Amino acid sequence: MKRIISIDIGSTWTKGASFVLENSTLKLEKKMLEPTTQFDLVQGFSKVLSGLLGQDKSTPLARLRGSAEIFFSSSAKGGLRISAIGLVPDLTLHLAKLAAMSAGGKVIQSFSFSLTRSDVKELEKQQPDIVLFSGGTDGGNSKYILENALKLREAEMACPIVYAGNRAVADEVAEILREKEVIVTENLMPEIGQVNIEPTREKIREIFLKRIVSGRGLSRIVEIFGTQPKPTPLAVFDLISAIPVYHPAWSDVAAVDIGGATTDFYSNTESYLETDTVILKGLREPKVKRTVEGDLGLRVSAHSLFDTARDYLEERLRGLGLQMTRLESFVAKIAENTECLPQTEEEILFDRLLAEACVYFSALRHIGGWKETFTPQGKVYVQTGKDLRRIKAIIGSGGYLSRENSPEVILCPLEKLKFYGEERKLLPENPEIFRDRDYLFPLLGNLVEKYPAEATAAALASVEKIS
Amino acid sequence: MKKDTIILGVIGSDCHSVGNKILELVFSSEGFHVVNLGVMVSQQEFVNAAIETNAKAILVSSLYGHGEIDCQGFRDLCIEKGLDQIILYVGGNLVVGKKPFSVVEEKFKKMGFDRVFPPDVDLKKVAELLRQDIKEKFGQEAAAEEKQPDASPKKHSAAN
Repeated sequence: MKRIISIDIGSTWTKGASFVLENSTLKLEKKMLEPTTQFDLVQGFSKVLSGLLGQDKSTPLARLRGSAEIFFSSSAKGGLRISAIGLVPDLTLHLAKLAAMSAGGKVIQSFSFSLTRSDVKELEKQQPDIVLFSGGTDGGNSKYILENALKLREAEMACPIVYAGNRAVADEVAEILREKEVIVTENLMPEIGQVNIEPTREKIREIFLKRIVSGRGLSRIVEIFGTQPKPTPLAVFDLISAIPVYHPAWSDVAAVDIGGATTDFYSNTESYLETDTVILKGLREPKVKRTVEGDLGLRVSAHSLFDTARDYLEERLRGLGLQMTRLESFVAKIAENTECLPQTEEEILFDRLLAEACVYFSALRHIGGWKETFTPQGKVYVQTGKDLRRIKAIIGSGGYLSRENSPEVILCPLEKLKFYGEERKLLPENPEIFRDRDYLFPLLGNLVEKYPAEATAAALASVEKIS
Repeated sequence: MKKDTIILGVIGSDCHSVGNKILELVFSSEGFHVVNLGVMVSQQEFVNAAIETNAKAILVSSLYGHGEIDCQGFRDLCIEKGLDQIILYVGGNLVVGKKPFSVVEEKFKKMGFDRVFPPDVDLKKVAELLRQDIKEKFGQEAAAEEKQPDASPKKHSAAN
């Protein structure tokens, strides 16, 4: 028997759970929740850990060593802030954004072609955690890349730059940027249509560990327990990647996590099935994909959600015979007071409509589509983006969806997406809806690297079918 | 020596894929680095691929008779996107009906294509022409120049 503890340091709450590992089965033993201590993350962490171990909350951290195997993750102020630079928007820039999001980052700005003087100013103003710099196939375009490297050299930024562009000029880029921290990795798109985002994801993860963690006391946790933290969204990504590997019945799975600040959408399914009548345009997206939407969230991002989803919400309210102004004042209230929980029946309904809108727009942006085209050879479908029709299960996670008992929050917006524009969205055809009942996904995600079979089994044991 | 990159594809709503595969085979064996975009390729896709790969030429195929409409404005788009040097070839069953090839050729040349080919051309000869055109347009200096960007507007290569 072995005790394993996993802790996730979120932007608002530090959550933890202890598990017992026996006969290769992980069993949840205890859960804890403490407010995150922003100035020194260790304090909240210590409280959760000592609580899980049944110790006094003031026990020094070092004395808790050895009583369990510890894993932890941190969302680092709502995720790594990444600026993505690519050449053509539909090609290298698209992949740069995808790689950043799949590594657990948040794309705060993106630039294509030549960086302008005002682009550089924007970079300096935002001071991202990482600049992801790509462009050109291997042996391909170097003009834009070298120009942009020269501009980056002049930019006053302290963050590391990950170079994942044309390999032919990688040395020159490193030389131009020698006064900055440059990490050179493999090209995101070595050839037109070839997707190679894994090496970039790995580098972003390494930087996360080195640079961001050392800031607010996390290095002490690393020192005492000898384990490295994971970015929270990466933990969920790893879990979603591993589930079908260890449980083939769960192939073709998706997950949605609605938080206060962002909505994350994960899918694990083949992105394109080649047939004579379906032609893929643009890049073939990776099998495991994460997108994160910084404008969709139930509290911190409530205002931007409301702006994005105005039409959707208006239509839903009209159907229910409710007033938009009431919802508007609720949004103002929750954005102001982010810890606010809905009190009245109306507020509960509003929260739910906002959650629906998060699902609607995150799915819209994550899922690809088909356009019917008539050719002299007959009707063909032109596919762009990822095909999610074969998704059999959608799991709701995050504070809101893990408590939601009705599948409608997910199914209703998906139903509405069937009639989106001229394109036919490639939505899951007949998905079963589950919830991450104890909100364990990020915590189990932390264990995936070391205990993949056990952690994925525990994750599936803790989901509940609600459809 | 570094191979020259060329972009291949069938433009518009055209699904004819056999000829496209043959072109890929031939031009690869003729020593080009071929990026084949396949069938149903839009002008924008050709241009995007040419930018990322720093291609020297785009070879457009059209087999279904709507080539004239599909190719309209292709050269303008290239110039608009900064591909001011790129070589453009087009070939196939370019128009519907029995127009003499010389008429078709002139039409497409007016649109800015450097060379226009009928459906039954000897591909080895096309490859030879392409080598000549690349040499003429880009010369030896071109490659070196592209590696050293500076703030001044684009210079034309000495060979031009």
